[in-house]
Amino acid sequence: MGSIMDYLYFPGCTLYTKAKNLDQTARNCSLLLGFELKELPNWTCCGATFPLATDNIMALLPPSRILARARQEGTTLTTLCAICFNVIKRTNRLIQNDGEKREKINNFIEMNYQGDLRVLHYLEILKQEIGFPQIKERVRKPLAGLKAAAYYGCMLLRPFDEMGFDDKERPTLFEEFLEAMGAEPVDFPYKIECCGSFQSVGSPEVATECGYKILGSAIKNGAEVVVSTCPMCTFNIDHKQSDIKQKYLDFKSIPVLYFTQLLGMAMGLDYQTLGFEQNFVDPLPLLKEKGFI
Amino acid sequence: MEAITEMNKMDATFLEEAKKRSGEDLSLCYQCLKCTAGCPTAPIMDIRPNNIIRMIQMGMKQEVLGSSAIWLCVSCETCGTRCPNKIDIGVLMDALREMAIDEGIHAKEKNIHLLHEAFIDSIRRGGRVHEATMLIDYKLRSKDFLTDLVPGMMLFMKGKIPLLPSLVKGRGEIKRIFERCKK
Repeated sequence: MGSIMDYLYFPGCTLYTKAKNLDQTARNCSLLLGFELKELPNWTCCGATFPLATDNIMALLPPSRILARARQEGTTLTTLCAICFNVIKRTNRLIQNDGEKREKINNFIEMNYQGDLRVLHYLEILKQEIGFPQIKERVRKPLAGLKAAAYYGCMLLRPFDEMGFDDKERPTLFEEFLEAMGAEPVDFPYKIECCGSFQSVGSPEVATECGYKILGSAIKNGAEVVVSTCPMCTFNIDHKQSDIKQKYLDFKSIPVLYFTQLLGMAMGLDYQTLGFEQNFVDPLPLLKEKGFI
Repeated sequence: MEAITEMNKMDATFLEEAKKRSGEDLSLCYQCLKCTAGCPTAPIMDIRPNNIIRMIQMGMKQEVLGSSAIWLCVSCETCGTRCPNKIDIGVLMDALREMAIDEGIHAKEKNIHLLHEAFIDSIRRGGRVHEATMLIDYKLRSKDFLTDLVPGMMLFMKGKIPLLPSLVKGRGEIKRIFERCKK
């Protein structure tokens, strides 16, 4: 390995609370792979929605402020939460391309940011900067025989023109990642469907319905575990499985893991440091049965 | 006769207004229904996305801005990704929500609006969203105390909802930005 490269890291609110296991495992995996996640000092919430209406400047300010401050610290910013990633990447692109908005935003946040930061998701760092073949070489305990369904959700992929993450209807990046871990990716038609997002608070029945379709489709295609990148999705498809079971008596629960938990396990981290106790559906029986722990 | 009375209720400027506000060319829609087919919340919407566009074309302002549909959209952007005429319906829905608020039309999905407000206030207070206080705030506003009580307790027991917010520096700056936005 060459010199250690560090990446600026924006954790986001959820990674300090509900998704602590995503945050911790990502940090630990980075060190094994030879880079460090340098947390942005005094970061604030990204606003959690990219404003779609054309005249909404206010909602652009939180992500702009994050970007402007990150630029003072470095050149590449990474995130793990798919929602933060979506908001920050789209705002960055807007600041880059829309001079009028850029000026307005800079006036509001009292800074001068030109949109010249690279915004990458952690998975993109793994693929583009480290390389899946290189990661494969570092796998100590291949996840052989683990049938894993990669669930993308919305925010990494859409809108396609702005995110440029992967194919808009048939992405494969996440599956390539699972293959590098030695796992068997399971293709399923609901891998890019929405989980119902924040409607799980206001209209929980929507999220129950979405979760049942997504998980049911993964199970039908042979998945033993569903792998996610997004704390919001994970809340809806992991924590809400109790609601799904209540409504659909035939539903059999399935563990939902963060991709970094699998990465950590494959690279030989002690399973007790991977935060499995925070997953709602206990993955330990399955992982024991497979002989991984 | 009935048709004529109906026509009187139409707002001829609504289509132009919605086009301008969203920046989307809503006249291009030919009702292929791809948006509705892929929409995760369409099953519980009172007006489906394709019908929202048709009703805008017909000037049915009150019905559209007073619908639950505009508040049930979660901006997953599946519709816009698949529209053969490149109409971004997610953008349209956001514009319609703003128009409804500007017109003083009460959100039919009252709880969703309350959740948005609780979320923003949480940022206003601490710079970061603190889920425990935000959800208590939301519960007080919506007076809906029973939904999600069990998953909430489970999260709490798994140590996922810390009681105290993490504090960031620069909260004065955040306050100032909020105040300038109000103007």
